[in-house]
Amino acid sequence: MNTQMRSSTLETIGLGSVLDMLRRGTLPVSTGDLVDRVFGPEGHRGALVISGANGIVGAGKTMQLGARVEPFGVPVVALDFPGSPDGLAGKYPGLVRAFGADRAAAIAGNVIRLAYDGQSLPSLLKDLGPRFLLEAVPENLEIKRAHYEVFREAFPEIEIRSVTSGFPQSELGVGVAHPAFPHEINKVFEIVEPEPSPVTQLLWSLGLLPMTVSDHWSFVLDVLFCGLTLAATRFHEASNMPYWKIDKFVRRMLGPNPFRAHDAIGAAGANFLTWSCLHHLEPHYGPVFAPSEALEERKDSGADWYPMNHFRPMVNWPADDEELATWVLGPLFQMTSLLVSERRSHFAQLNAIGELCAQFSSGVLALARAHGADRAISTVEAYHRVHPEAAEKAWFPDVFAAIETPEWQQLYVNAEHDGVVGVITVSRESYNSDVDAELNRAIDWLRAADIERVVLTGDFHLSTQMVGADITDFFPAMEDEAAGVAVAHAWSRTARRLESEFSVSVGLISGKRCLGGMLEMMMHCHFLLATNESTLGMPEVGLPVVPGMEGCHWPFRRVTPDQRSRLLRFLLEGRAIAAEDGAGWLVDGVGSLDEMLGLAWAVASGGDHGLTRRPLETGPVEDVLDAMPKLSDPAGSGMEAGRRAIVETIRAATSATLDDALEIQARHSGGFMPSAACRRGVIGSAYTKTMLV
Amino acid sequence: MNAAISMFPRARIPYGTWGSSFFPAWQTSALAEVNIGQFAGEAMSRILGLRKVRQRELEYLVIGSTIPWHWKFWTAPLVSVCAGVRIPGHHIEQACATGLQAVLAGAAQVESGHDVVGVVTFDRTSDSPVGVFPERRAYERTQHLGDVWDNFGFDPSTGGAMIATAGLAARKYGIDRLEVDDITLCRYEQYFSAKESGFLDRILVPLEVLNLQGRSMGVIDEDLGVRKIDAGALRAMRELETCVTAGSQTHASDGMACLLVSSPERAQELSPRPEIDISFIGKAEIRTSPSLMPEAPALAVKQLLERSEITLNDVAVIKNHNPFALNDAVFTKITGHDWRNMNNNGCSLVWGHPQGPTLTRSLIEGLEEAVDLGGGFVLLFGCAAGDVGIAALFKVTEGGRR
Repeated sequence: MNTQMRSSTLETIGLGSVLDMLRRGTLPVSTGDLVDRVFGPEGHRGALVISGANGIVGAGKTMQLGARVEPFGVPVVALDFPGSPDGLAGKYPGLVRAFGADRAAAIAGNVIRLAYDGQSLPSLLKDLGPRFLLEAVPENLEIKRAHYEVFREAFPEIEIRSVTSGFPQSELGVGVAHPAFPHEINKVFEIVEPEPSPVTQLLWSLGLLPMTVSDHWSFVLDVLFCGLTLAATRFHEASNMPYWKIDKFVRRMLGPNPFRAHDAIGAAGANFLTWSCLHHLEPHYGPVFAPSEALEERKDSGADWYPMNHFRPMVNWPADDEELATWVLGPLFQMTSLLVSERRSHFAQLNAIGELCAQFSSGVLALARAHGADRAISTVEAYHRVHPEAAEKAWFPDVFAAIETPEWQQLYVNAEHDGVVGVITVSRESYNSDVDAELNRAIDWLRAADIERVVLTGDFHLSTQMVGADITDFFPAMEDEAAGVAVAHAWSRTARRLESEFSVSVGLISGKRCLGGMLEMMMHCHFLLATNESTLGMPEVGLPVVPGMEGCHWPFRRVTPDQRSRLLRFLLEGRAIAAEDGAGWLVDGVGSLDEMLGLAWAVASGGDHGLTRRPLETGPVEDVLDAMPKLSDPAGSGMEAGRRAIVETIRAATSATLDDALEIQARHSGGFMPSAACRRGVIGSAYTKTMLV
Repeated sequence: MNAAISMFPRARIPYGTWGSSFFPAWQTSALAEVNIGQFAGEAMSRILGLRKVRQRELEYLVIGSTIPWHWKFWTAPLVSVCAGVRIPGHHIEQACATGLQAVLAGAAQVESGHDVVGVVTFDRTSDSPVGVFPERRAYERTQHLGDVWDNFGFDPSTGGAMIATAGLAARKYGIDRLEVDDITLCRYEQYFSAKESGFLDRILVPLEVLNLQGRSMGVIDEDLGVRKIDAGALRAMRELETCVTAGSQTHASDGMACLLVSSPERAQELSPRPEIDISFIGKAEIRTSPSLMPEAPALAVKQLLERSEITLNDVAVIKNHNPFALNDAVFTKITGHDWRNMNNNGCSLVWGHPQGPTLTRSLIEGLEEAVDLGGGFVLLFGCAAGDVGIAALFKVTEGGRR
């Protein structure tokens, strides 16, 4: 029987837990089986119909889903009014960029474009046997209901999902699969349905991110995003600060820039959708959601929020951080209390939706957690002093009393065990201080249960890859070397626990890539396994930055002298490699996902696995740089500086004992951050753009 | 008309909802390089934000400027958009009287039914545009005109330069160069005293100007070009005209200033000190003989006082636009009022002459001074191109520094 730190998000879509997968050595469902169930058996596949296919949502989803079902022979019908502007053609260049010309042609060639008049379906549709309708017609309840009626009359068995961002299933009469912008790329769908369905599991199996949410007016993403936009307009109305400047301060404080997002999506449509969401929320939840005057105006005018190019802003505005926090964080925390109170979704998903769909640098629960219950509540109370009507409804301060429970505390990292083997899953694609703290708590929890054998991997749901460190965590280090040293030091200490506190630790890379800090962390496991579809890389040299989690000495302590040259090239050229090219010196096993699941379980549970644990040299490693290969020319002076700094770090850290090396590496990593090369590079540019506003 | 009767009985200026940019001398700051109409709109929004006035309170906008700016065709409606609101409005222009005429136009707008009217005046003298005018009856067929300097140098109705009016007035009134230098010294001392006391910080708002990429072009936080001056240096200056030297005349500058005019009820809601009431009493305008511009303001004042049935002794604060220091000497000759007892916190002789906003800033400074004094009449006057003088009287009740 499994014991969990908190429930797995996979369980919300009926797919069990990662420990179950490892034990079985295979995924819980097969894509082929699900395609058969949703669209019928091969040779008799029915069609996927996307109505409103020329719209922003419809066109994006036609491309995204079309690319995924085409290999299974599922015809895709793109349905729209005959006179609607062609939204699909504009997506084709992106398809070519993502898949190449031949594959793009095949995907587009599988899309059958049909026109209809809104009243009766085209006769050709019957021949295609529609099995699943993804409705993306305008956000009007009556229009949507009538649309379903037309389909149900013609195809009584058809499965229907609406992409609505706001109407509950109880009003629509069909389930919801609400996607997030940008629609051809973003994999998240908010799902409303009574029980996990094959359609939802198929979305997961196709590599998308379905997240179940409750059946309330406006789903999690829109409450957060529209609510944030509303809060920002209220701040504007209170302070006169122009929208462009509020955007910069909101981005610095939270991550999103709501006004730019509206303009980027297309203000005419986005303004209406935001207004519509709030307009429907207000009757249920009160004035905290009442559309502001600015939103009312822009709903009608469809005007952009940013000034036109010839009126780019001229007079700068400084921030009053306290006033901004009151007007923006206050309502956001109030809305968070509502989402938590109504248990709108699994807490990890409530948190992840903001990050994955609305550019929050920290999800709202993580944000509230970082503030602490008292401060979060006092921020809302300060907001109520300037907007007293908002206190009338939808304020649930009591939810913050549970902030210390695992549901709140393990938003990014979960752990489970069966009494012998533990599994730690990471559901955030980039490593930050929240992940670090949660990983430490997960390790503590397993160790407290005397678990000595562990698998560390992704969560097979919210995180589909491991892209490295979250560079926003390095922003303080741009000005303060000690801050950079402290981050590197703390994260390295955490990573070492994977090696020192378990008798067997297995890192399993199951996503499409594992880079930078995430790879450094995984390297600390006694065994590292990767699926043959993954790529591995240490791109730090190109940023440039010096790896902070022992990447400059730890792997050298685990390879034979003849393998050092590869490692040096890997670190100093920064190019990612296919996992299979790292076999033997970087990873211990590479194979299909099922093979790696089985192998990871075999290693962790003490079964037969055939792998030999590579030893870890704890003394100085001599003459590492003697193995220096001939490197390609650096791409610019930044990379050249990064390469020099990494070489110096390798020299210093490998010459020391394992005990001393952590400190040395952290000092080098932190010391490089305030340098001119780093400040001119990717992190420095992001820091300047985001923080120095 | 007498002082007990207001020319705009419904109009008030809400105390403390105003502000001005600093006035950097021409070509010395980032303002020399921007669309000043856009700057004025954005700066007004910022100033109102600092004064805790929501831009949405504005119902109408009067703008005042004299030098053509990019897209001026669209006048106040465009500036209002730059200020963040879409409201109607119109443009006022009368050379250096613009800053006062715009305020009066704002009051008239309140009389006509609007409750809150914004007034923003501005000009950029730096790099003023050059107009090209097809003139079939001119020998050149096409004539070009640099808006600032060509106009300063040539009054088409008299054929003389602006500075020539100063010389003529000095000769008419027998003004002594020594007295003009003394006036100049006094005005500089008044300005620097106000600056050092912090008085100007209540009016002038530092504003950072951004370039197209959003990077700073500089912060406008000084009346750039204004330097302390001493008697020896003034005395040594060459006369450009009778009693006019580079030191005793103003200089071109760039800037903006703004205030609100509203109904009495809204003034109480908008002002941080609702007990202070600022009303409009009256105004007078006269035009004097050709090329005697410096005497025109004093004559306008005489007319206004007579109509208002008060004397200068009844006035708490006197402020004027004095492009030439000798204007003040002529004022004393005509009215008998000692020039030392006016312009207590600075004047345009010192901080420059951006035309449109000049008298608006003077008015704001005068009203602030009157509030410090616990209330009283504020007399504002000045000259304007075409030998015109304008004067207006305001009444401030209550007050006292807090």
